[in-house]
Amino acid sequence: MMNRKKKIVIVGGGLAGLALAMKFCERNGEATVVSYQSLKRSHSVCAQGGINAAIDAKNEGDTPEKHFYDTIKGGDFLAHQPLVRDMCYQAPTIIHLMDRMGVAFNRTGEGHLDFRRFGGTLYNRTAFAGATTGQQLVYALDEQVRRHVHDGSAKTLEWHEYLGAVLDSEGICRGAVIHDLRTDEIYTLQADAVVLATGGPGQVYGRSTNSVVNTGAAATTAYLQGAKYANGEFIQIHPTAIPGQDKLRLMSESARGEGGRVWVPRKANDTRNPKKIPENERYYFLEEKYPLFKNLVPRDVASREIYDIVYNQELGVAGDPMVYLDLTHKSREFLDNRLGGIMDIYTKFTGADPRETPMKIFPAVHYSMGGLWTDYGPDSHGLIDHGSPKNQMTSIQGLFAAGEADYQYHGANRLGANSLLSCIYTGLMMARGMMNYVDSLEKSVDDIPSTVFDDSCSHWKNRFSEIKKMKGSENPHKLHLELGEVMLANVLIVRDNESLEKASNEINDIETRFKDVKCLDTEDWANPSPSFINQLYCMIHLSKIITKGALLRNEFRGSHYKPDFDLIQPKDFDPHEYIDYLEQKQYGEVTEGKFPPGHLEYMKRFEENNEKWLKTTVAQYKNDQPDITYEEVNTSLVTPRPRKYD
Amino acid sequence: MARPSKDEIHYLLLKLHSLTGIVPIGAFLVIHICVNSLRTVGVWPYQLSIDAINNIPFLLIVEVAFIYVPLLFHSVMGFYVANIAKTNVHRYRYPRNGLYTLQRLTGAVVFVFLIYHLGTTVGPKLLEGKHHFEAAPFLIDIMNGEFQTWQGIVIYAIGIVSATFHFSNGLWGFCVSWGILIGEKAQRNGAIVFAMIGLVLTVLGMATVAEFNMNPIPVEATVAR
Amino acid sequence: MTEKTITIKVKRQDTPNTPSYWQTFKVPHRPFANIISCLMEIQKTPTTQDGKNVNPVTWDCNCLEEVCGSCTMVINGQVRQACTALVDNLKKPIVLEPMSKFPVVRDLQVNRERMFENLKKVKAWIEIDGSHNIGEGPIMPDQDRAKRYVMSECMTCGCCLEACPQFTMDNSFLGAATFNQVRLFNLHPSGEMKKEERLDAVMGEGGIADCGNAQVCVEVCPKNIPLTESIGDIGRQTTWQLIKNLLTK
Repeated sequence: MMNRKKKIVIVGGGLAGLALAMKFCERNGEATVVSYQSLKRSHSVCAQGGINAAIDAKNEGDTPEKHFYDTIKGGDFLAHQPLVRDMCYQAPTIIHLMDRMGVAFNRTGEGHLDFRRFGGTLYNRTAFAGATTGQQLVYALDEQVRRHVHDGSAKTLEWHEYLGAVLDSEGICRGAVIHDLRTDEIYTLQADAVVLATGGPGQVYGRSTNSVVNTGAAATTAYLQGAKYANGEFIQIHPTAIPGQDKLRLMSESARGEGGRVWVPRKANDTRNPKKIPENERYYFLEEKYPLFKNLVPRDVASREIYDIVYNQELGVAGDPMVYLDLTHKSREFLDNRLGGIMDIYTKFTGADPRETPMKIFPAVHYSMGGLWTDYGPDSHGLIDHGSPKNQMTSIQGLFAAGEADYQYHGANRLGANSLLSCIYTGLMMARGMMNYVDSLEKSVDDIPSTVFDDSCSHWKNRFSEIKKMKGSENPHKLHLELGEVMLANVLIVRDNESLEKASNEINDIETRFKDVKCLDTEDWANPSPSFINQLYCMIHLSKIITKGALLRNEFRGSHYKPDFDLIQPKDFDPHEYIDYLEQKQYGEVTEGKFPPGHLEYMKRFEENNEKWLKTTVAQYKNDQPDITYEEVNTSLVTPRPRKYD
Repeated sequence: MARPSKDEIHYLLLKLHSLTGIVPIGAFLVIHICVNSLRTVGVWPYQLSIDAINNIPFLLIVEVAFIYVPLLFHSVMGFYVANIAKTNVHRYRYPRNGLYTLQRLTGAVVFVFLIYHLGTTVGPKLLEGKHHFEAAPFLIDIMNGEFQTWQGIVIYAIGIVSATFHFSNGLWGFCVSWGILIGEKAQRNGAIVFAMIGLVLTVLGMATVAEFNMNPIPVEATVAR
Repeated sequence: MTEKTITIKVKRQDTPNTPSYWQTFKVPHRPFANIISCLMEIQKTPTTQDGKNVNPVTWDCNCLEEVCGSCTMVINGQVRQACTALVDNLKKPIVLEPMSKFPVVRDLQVNRERMFENLKKVKAWIEIDGSHNIGEGPIMPDQDRAKRYVMSECMTCGCCLEACPQFTMDNSFLGAATFNQVRLFNLHPSGEMKKEERLDAVMGEGGIADCGNAQVCVEVCPKNIPLTESIGDIGRQTTWQLIKNLLTK
């Protein structure tokens, strides 16, 4: 037994990292939060619409089980079911906890939590604080962590960058190499365990809805150090974002949850003022195609439809790649109270007031369902054993991942307002297991020879001094933009193997040119250039994982849409037929005539496809390339079946 | 009661600074301007009110305790407060920021003016030993003299306007910092009311100056009782 | 065709202890460009107007949609977020300076640690018993929630402090952002339990009594937080606290 507190290093000050820090300190551990910027500025603040929990406040008969099913179906059955189920069952507790911490959730007339609708569900399940829910949740957790810092149990290292894990001779993670972004110092932190809660990799695409720090570098470094990276090709494209020069700013799904309607003029190149276009000349394409879910189909579906309208049907607003998102039928007070934050963002960046005129939006890269491969310990009830040291551990022992940086919760497509939930859930859930992990270690970090740390440290010191010596002809920022262009052009909403091959080649070309990069700034104080070059190196490798995963996965699942491999669902298909079919098959009496024409063939195609592709993609770094293998998905609770939203 | 900490003293002193500006200093300013403005109504009402003041028991102690000491305290604290700030109205040209800057400026102007005002009135009075009922005619004589030159008028005009502004704007500041006016609308309405009070005081003060200038009647010493 | 360009003057400083200097850059004009996208252009071609190759300008930014609070700087003499500063709405040449009330780290980056330390001083958090499952939060009228929500949008960007004449580098004034946090937490049913501790923390040197009500804070706040209302309210709460302290302690 150690006679000191258990100490962990948490990289990332977003929801997952902060939730874990709070919980770990509460359990009498010592957490050091390493953050690229001041806490309170992490990308989690950008989440707008809300956080899901099936509390059934509106008496619609919602239950955590339905939340679980919606999430699994939304993710096209690619997520491990016990984990998702556990998350959905914990959700109400998490909302009440956040409420107790003082999050200004909107409330009902009686003073209880209010809920609104979001995509991929028919229930009012999303708790929200105006349209800046992520910001409010981050602040609440940040306040609790600050309280622990004040009390001495938590430490923060702001303006510090995580460079890599310190691995001992057995490959167990014993600490982290840290780079002080101000003094430029590189040193190691000893820890019983290290957690990467470093968010998503939107910067791989250059322009996305992600923040500047979301390079995915920390997760990629883990991959380069031997950790498995899973489901990289599943990148969520959010259907509604404001096009921009430096960033594509998110226009929350809550805009549609509160009644926003997506439409285009029926006539191509119609340049009339949208308010002047009569109702019968407007094409509300989501409402027409999906009469049940209407504008609130899941994000992958909505993005594909918008893409189809703009590029195949050429009906984009005034011929541009944009469609209208219309809230002008709602009152000003209503919009200010429930969507104020996003109304302001749109006004500030476009100069137009969305309360008066329909917004012009287009899909943008938003979230990575994939991430570091992590483990979990199921219990016997189809839920999770919260004490299991396996929970959230990557394939490197002692290195954990949480939040968007892991892959487990959203399958092939994430439902809106589930990301905040998965971040907080992982952070809170894993604390106990980590405590047990530390107890289970045969050898404590205190007994690890200091040379292990010195070696790691000097490796990174050398790496950075090598980077500073780079005097080639390529500008790293321009190269980054090129990488983004390649990814946006070829690995986006609609994918085909020819473009993916092309992207692979172009990425390889960029990788070669990377060797000729110039380090623009060689100062030893607050110099972001070497860090950026290192991050660019990581982004190149990450883009390879994404592209290769997409190239090899010859099917259409969730956000990964390859028209060549679309199984073409018959229009009048009912997913329940598939359950009947499976049942009949089990009793060996599938009767052709019982299904409408074409349905049986479709179901057979579907079954065969699932046989082959209902698997987790696992990338491992071998010979400078991602080596892709596939792993079974835990579908022990609900039978995978065709998705349908109309 | 436990000995107050440095922080508590700091806070109390600033609160007192704010408070003394209203009572007794502000109150005295209002009385002073109002009483003197009676001069515009006529000599007798003016005479009577001076008599009433002179009838206050222990007048000297009252004057020292309720005027001079608070005034000195308010001035010292005022310079301290102004000194820890750095005005920036040239960059941030908002009305309230302008008033904030003016508040500090007028505070300094009033301080200089008061040195002059006391130096030319109370100073000679003390030096020549004119006490009690002899004081009023002596002082009024001086004032009659002051307002016959344009320099005197200008000095008093600046002094009066600065003092009434400093008071009425200070009244607003007092109401905000003591939490009497909170809401944006309440603060705006308060500002309008206090501006009117300030305006009335300014008019009264300037009218008095005009009266002294046009009608320099000496005041008789009332019979000592 | 000649490309339209924008001239940007940047006040630079290599380290906290070296003198500042000015450099002028020209960047191509693009529709809807903001200051951040201009700085990104400079990063891509770090060459001054007179053709000198220099180190790229460093600055802080993250979300680029005005919710993270990183990119505060002084643009044409006014403090604001650089991401929402669209170049088309700015007077040219555009002049960029770091905030003056916080120590410069490098170029346009400053150290705003003081703001975060202040949050600790006033205990800007709710003292929950623990993060385990102990039921629902307190019931609260939506009007109160709405009031709190507006206040809790504060992103610690520092605009209110930079523009405050009372807040300087060498005094200890807490500033509008901190007073607003005190009000935010005192308004919460559980937060209220620590109300007195928070009020005591602002009743000292640099506390609420130091506020001179110049009210520039509320004018420059990018989130339109009613900071002056918060100051007035904390004024009232501390007044009662003062009376209570005097009479009961």
